[in-house]
Amino acid sequence: MVEMEEGIQRLGRQDRSIANEVQKSVRERRPLTLRRVITNEYFLHVVSSAAFLYLWHEVAASGVFKGGLCTPWEVVVRFRGLLTDTLAGLTLWGHIGASAQRIAIGFVLASVVAIPLGLFMALNPYVNAVVKPVFDIFKPMPPIAWVSIAILWFGVGEESKIFIIIIGTFVPCLLNAYNGIRLIEPELYDVIKVLGGKRWNEILQVSFPASFPAIFAGLQISLSLAWTCVLAAELVASRSGLGFIIVQGMKFTDAALVIGGMVMIALVAWVSSLLIAGLEKLLCPWRRDIRDL
Amino acid sequence: MNPAASAPVKIDVRGLTKRFGDLLVLDNISFQVARGEFLAIVGPTGCGKTTFLNCLSKLIPTSEGDIFIDGRVADPRVHNISFVFQEPTCLPWRTVRENVAYGMELKRFPAEKIRERVDTMLGLVGLSETQHLYPNQVSASMVQRITVARAFAVDPDLLLMDEPYGQLDVKLRYYLEDELVKLWQTLKATVIFVTHNIEEAVYVAERILVLSNKPTRIKAEVKVDLPRPRNLIDPAFVAIRKEVTELIRWW
Repeated sequence: MVEMEEGIQRLGRQDRSIANEVQKSVRERRPLTLRRVITNEYFLHVVSSAAFLYLWHEVAASGVFKGGLCTPWEVVVRFRGLLTDTLAGLTLWGHIGASAQRIAIGFVLASVVAIPLGLFMALNPYVNAVVKPVFDIFKPMPPIAWVSIAILWFGVGEESKIFIIIIGTFVPCLLNAYNGIRLIEPELYDVIKVLGGKRWNEILQVSFPASFPAIFAGLQISLSLAWTCVLAAELVASRSGLGFIIVQGMKFTDAALVIGGMVMIALVAWVSSLLIAGLEKLLCPWRRDIRDL
Repeated sequence: MNPAASAPVKIDVRGLTKRFGDLLVLDNISFQVARGEFLAIVGPTGCGKTTFLNCLSKLIPTSEGDIFIDGRVADPRVHNISFVFQEPTCLPWRTVRENVAYGMELKRFPAEKIRERVDTMLGLVGLSETQHLYPNQVSASMVQRITVARAFAVDPDLLLMDEPYGQLDVKLRYYLEDELVKLWQTLKATVIFVTHNIEEAVYVAERILVLSNKPTRIKAEVKVDLPRPRNLIDPAFVAIRKEVTELIRWW
């Protein structure tokens, strides 16, 4: 220890580095030209979206699908009305809330159990040996296959819908947490072992942080599956929710209601996945890319 | 197999033997390393180099024999053993600075000491400006500098290096070998550097041990008594390189 300090002292103040090269951060600046605007990513997003809406409008206005397709504007008008008017006793917000609540409850319940279980399975071979055979039986079953049995068990109320969401989201949550740990480079553990660290250090310093990105990928998959599940459940039997709006539209041949319901699901699912992505960015700052330094 | 007579023995490897079932990989290897010595170990491909290092670092148990540091059986919980692996082993979720501090944290250095030492090490290896970036935001050579800085930072009793620059291009390798020698001269660590690059071994080391094919033994010992910085085309340098090459060839 003393020798090391002396060695550093000897280097002196002037020459504190033995490095042959030093990396400094850089930022590129380019002038704004027409070519840059046209090739801009966001500009192209707007162009393609506008083209899609225009095409939709023209096809609907031409009347090819008769009552089966309405223009984008008709959807907007229909849903603007739903913000204040009620459908089966609920405004649009009420229906969104109903679906979102089911998702939130099912999603949280499933991930709170599945993620720790997946981590335990990856970290402990005995837990893995006990849980894996049972899990493997349920793994390939599509969650929609559970709809009928869920209604038999829990009736047509909230419980059956939440149950289906739990079933649907459990598998990807668990699998991703499990794989997130299994795919860690063994050398990262060796570093800790050589330095005299304990198993606890390995789990806390390597296993957990290394598995975060995989866990979040699992949460994203789970979330989109959760929307599929809630929709399936609401289509079968429900008095509220976005799936219910779609069924109502179908019953009354109200294309604006069906399409609007579909668009709302896409919107709400997108917002919820943004929330997860935001949470990941918060918890995994090392995943930021070099452009956003 | 005795090191330079002047310095006291730091590392004493006695009768190191490793078997996997019936397969004898390491056959009764004994050697000593003086305190502050830079020892390189070269050998043909597949000579059990990884097994050898894993035994030295105590990652796997030996079948017979043992390694002693300052006369005591080596133990990662007691001694400071550092290992620079062939693959970059930075933790992606820690910044450059936190990665360098990491070894000292595991060794429970006091916070103030860690802060000071990290500042010094970052300055030494030229990472001060990038200390708050994450490893995926700096270049490959920077990443290897991080692990070298981390290894030196704990003031190791024994620093093991497993071809740390094997995956870098020639220019970077020269850069980093040069830095490694300067770091070693500055910080006075006891280093065992394993490589299959003979030129690299002659450039960095004070002494070279040549390993045989499996079952691995120490085939020869070559002293590299050349002034630093060493010149790759100096006739004396070339002569030693050729001598080691002759010793190692199996064709």
